[in-house]
Amino acid sequence: MTTDQILARLGLGDTASPLHDRIRARMNLHAVLPRLHELAILDDEARGVAAGLDLRLEMAVLGGPRMGLVFDQGRITASRDARGSLGLLFPSACALNRMFDGEKVVPIPHGSLWKLTQMKGFEKLTTILTRYLKPAATDLADPAFRARHVELSLLVGLSACDAIFALDPKVERVRGALHDATIQYDVGDAVSAFVTIEQGVITAHRGRVANPTAGIRIRDVDLAVDLIAGKVDTFAAVGVCDLKLYGMLPVVDEFNALFDRVGLYLN
Amino acid sequence: MSLYSFKKSEAMFQRAAKVIPCGIGGHVSPAVTVPGSFPYYATHGKGCRYWDLDGNEFLDFMCAYGPVVLGYDHPRVNEAAAKQRALGSVFNHPTPLAVELAEKLVSIVPIADWASFARNGSDVTYYALQVARQYTQKTKIIMARGAYHGTHPWSIHSMAGIIPSDYEHILQFTWNNADELRDLCKKHEGDIAGVILTPYHHPAFGDQVLPAPGFYDEVMRLRDQYDFVLISDDVRAGWRLNMGGSCEHFGFKPDLICYCKAIANGYVLSAIVGNDRVKQAASSVFFTGSFFQAAVEMAAALATIDELEKTNAIAHMWKMGELLQNGLRERAEKHGLQVSVTGPPTIPNMTFKNETNFLRMQRFSGEAAKRGVFFHPHHNWFISAAHQPADIEQALGVADECFAIVRQEFGS
Repeated sequence: MTTDQILARLGLGDTASPLHDRIRARMNLHAVLPRLHELAILDDEARGVAAGLDLRLEMAVLGGPRMGLVFDQGRITASRDARGSLGLLFPSACALNRMFDGEKVVPIPHGSLWKLTQMKGFEKLTTILTRYLKPAATDLADPAFRARHVELSLLVGLSACDAIFALDPKVERVRGALHDATIQYDVGDAVSAFVTIEQGVITAHRGRVANPTAGIRIRDVDLAVDLIAGKVDTFAAVGVCDLKLYGMLPVVDEFNALFDRVGLYLN
Repeated sequence: MSLYSFKKSEAMFQRAAKVIPCGIGGHVSPAVTVPGSFPYYATHGKGCRYWDLDGNEFLDFMCAYGPVVLGYDHPRVNEAAAKQRALGSVFNHPTPLAVELAEKLVSIVPIADWASFARNGSDVTYYALQVARQYTQKTKIIMARGAYHGTHPWSIHSMAGIIPSDYEHILQFTWNNADELRDLCKKHEGDIAGVILTPYHHPAFGDQVLPAPGFYDEVMRLRDQYDFVLISDDVRAGWRLNMGGSCEHFGFKPDLICYCKAIANGYVLSAIVGNDRVKQAASSVFFTGSFFQAAVEMAAALATIDELEKTNAIAHMWKMGELLQNGLRERAEKHGLQVSVTGPPTIPNMTFKNETNFLRMQRFSGEAAKRGVFFHPHHNWFISAAHQPADIEQALGVADECFAIVRQEFGS
């Protein structure tokens, strides 16, 4: 019997949770958490909080996915390879997800426990991030907030496709067909992001890439806000050129088969 | 010249989007061309031209994605259809036209001993799989990766609404790779019901690839060795390469041939023909639909096939296609651009070399559409018998302008 199987029997470890939760946990760690990097660039308050942190934090599910965050002089970097001096270990994917849902969960801390005092700053950052990802109507009235909401949500959605591709059984057909590619996303002149697909690893980035395989131009931030809220008929939007597709369109189709499923996990 | 605009098309699309999923779905969706540069709605056609809702005239190189092989509004085909329409089309029974059309197909298609009829290409490609499975009492079907055999779940590339069991018995190999096909046959020996192939490889978003020398010889040898049913999906290429089926053009003998598109010059009909080997199996499969025996379409098909034969239309289309293909190469070269013009002249295609994202092609075809010439950016084109040298010359003149735009925008 493997260690994972022993842990699962005890109700512990990554594989003890239902697949849906395991996919969500990967999204939370690999798609949501890394957005703190962009948050510290885009949001003044977040940048101020980050400036007060000196921390190498590692969050992990027992026997499962992990993510390292480095807070250094106001800059936040995220990497699956980065090791933390302070670790927070969650006994299961479900436990990790509960924390991201705002429930009180006590992970197992390890390493430089004296750094736990800095967790308040970390929590403050996640609260700000949540404000952008689950915005109130009053916040969305601010054009600058809307643009940041679009950028952060887009990066979360694009990054989350990696977990879908890796684990979601519904995309088996795409798994066999997804080509290496870069797809550019532009929202008016306000937001640009792109996703790279390389040998089944999907990563999202801010900005523009030269000579993308395909791309989508969204008319403006207002339309993007409605798209994120699920209020837009995307096919109709393509027909009236509110959404412009270009390049190798089958790549967009393949990727959208993943992208369309993100909402099933992250709401 | 003033460029076309598509305001009425776009307004109609907005109406459509409220009451029709996607507004316009499938292969004619705006999304698969270049929205903003192409029309969305047609009103009427004549010969090799049609008009859109905004009144723009198009010199057409898609022929309704293949069906219009003699030209739009062909008088002889329309007359035959009208004559039958006056008598009625759908009854409790087939009309004698079904027998006449089956006899006609059997007489001109060398491998055919029988024929059946349906409405769409997908009807007959799926029926072909059923016949193969019934005949062999086996399960697996082999197809070429990237090939298109219709919208049924076993072969469609889309994922929406598809579950793994829909395609669990479908195996894929790389077109022209006989070794890979042989390996699949060997690996699944005793369970290969059929191999379905388009006569040549004509994927969307790619160059067309003709069969490699010896490829079909090996396919037929494997058919004999592993006793599967060989299916030629001639839905797209049928009636533009050889009146006896595209298999005659490429020199192979399938057990079944699927037809649709050009068989009735735009009237709604598909057909499957087969040899005696699989006739009993074909009888066993329950194959029907509300309109499979509609007589108007059969009258149109008989007139279409007769006209194609009498006018030696394929030879004419071949010449027109060669004029177009050669002209495109020459004009591209004049502008210092490298293009890949592929496929048989009657079903040509063009892409820009060393480009995987189609940006040049999208620009080229979008500019051509705004100047009244319909070249699809991602799908092979079609020549009709209505195209004449002057039409090709007009198209090449527009292509010349569009190559200049591409060169200016993208460089060589």
